[in-house]
Amino acid sequence: MATTATLTLASADIAGDPVSVSKTATLTKAGTINDLDQSIGLNRVHLRSTTNKVLLSANAEGNNLAAKVYIINKAVDTSLYLTVTINAQTIGKLYGGDFLFIPWSQTDTDANIEVAATNWTSSTGDIPVEYALFHEDTDFLTNA
Amino acid sequence: MATTIASINLTSTDLLSDSLSVSAVSTLTGAGNSTGLTLTGGLGRKRLATGHAQYTLFDGDAYANGAHKIYLKNTSSTASEHFTIEINSEQMGKLYAGDWAFFPWEANADTNDIKIDPSADDMVLEYMIFIDE
Repeated sequence: MATTATLTLASADIAGDPVSVSKTATLTKAGTINDLDQSIGLNRVHLRSTTNKVLLSANAEGNNLAAKVYIINKAVDTSLYLTVTINAQTIGKLYGGDFLFIPWSQTDTDANIEVAATNWTSSTGDIPVEYALFHEDTDFLTNA
Repeated sequence: MATTIASINLTSTDLLSDSLSVSAVSTLTGAGNSTGLTLTGGLGRKRLATGHAQYTLFDGDAYANGAHKIYLKNTSSTASEHFTIEINSEQMGKLYAGDWAFFPWEANADTNDIKIDPSADDMVLEYMIFIDE
């Protein structure tokens, strides 16, 4: 059940020589070479809340299990941003077109991943957000 | 102005009953504008030789509040070896062997350090920052 994540970073002019980084990771369970076997699929929401809303709810049983999170701000307007937090700690802001891909420790049930359309107003329009979670689970097994 | 492109591809032929293929391309720009990021710390590697204690990789005090982008990769090939990634003492996640991460970083407070904690000695983390001045 191999799922792979490939990141490419490329620039011809940010430094004196070109930057070209390309890495592929096979998503595996914590501390093993066994593939991650669960996903919530690709989801899409339209965010208009200026306060934090739970995008992914932490499961305390997920602590020390592997989980990978993908979030992208699909807004075309680069000034519209999404503030991403874990347990109220700001990770960063995803501006229109930006994405993240991070490992997620569900250290406890407070470690939710939350998002806020911090500079949303009724005139800016909603912020489309797509996200996916790849994870393992001790309760919902894909095989016994 | 420089042009830096980050792209991601998430693929699987057998995780679901249909193939999964998610792709996105992002041009790295400053906060709220379309000006390309012009500064980078370059591609670096950090070996944490002994003691495998927590190490400050990026100091929030050293960067302005902005739309910085961070790339991290655990270069280990031993599956059990991981780096624990923290921002301002909040654990984000564990980067297992071969895993990479890419995320925005605001550095909106002096305490917003990005710290890494390897699970074993002599682990090597590859990293890069794209800086929003």
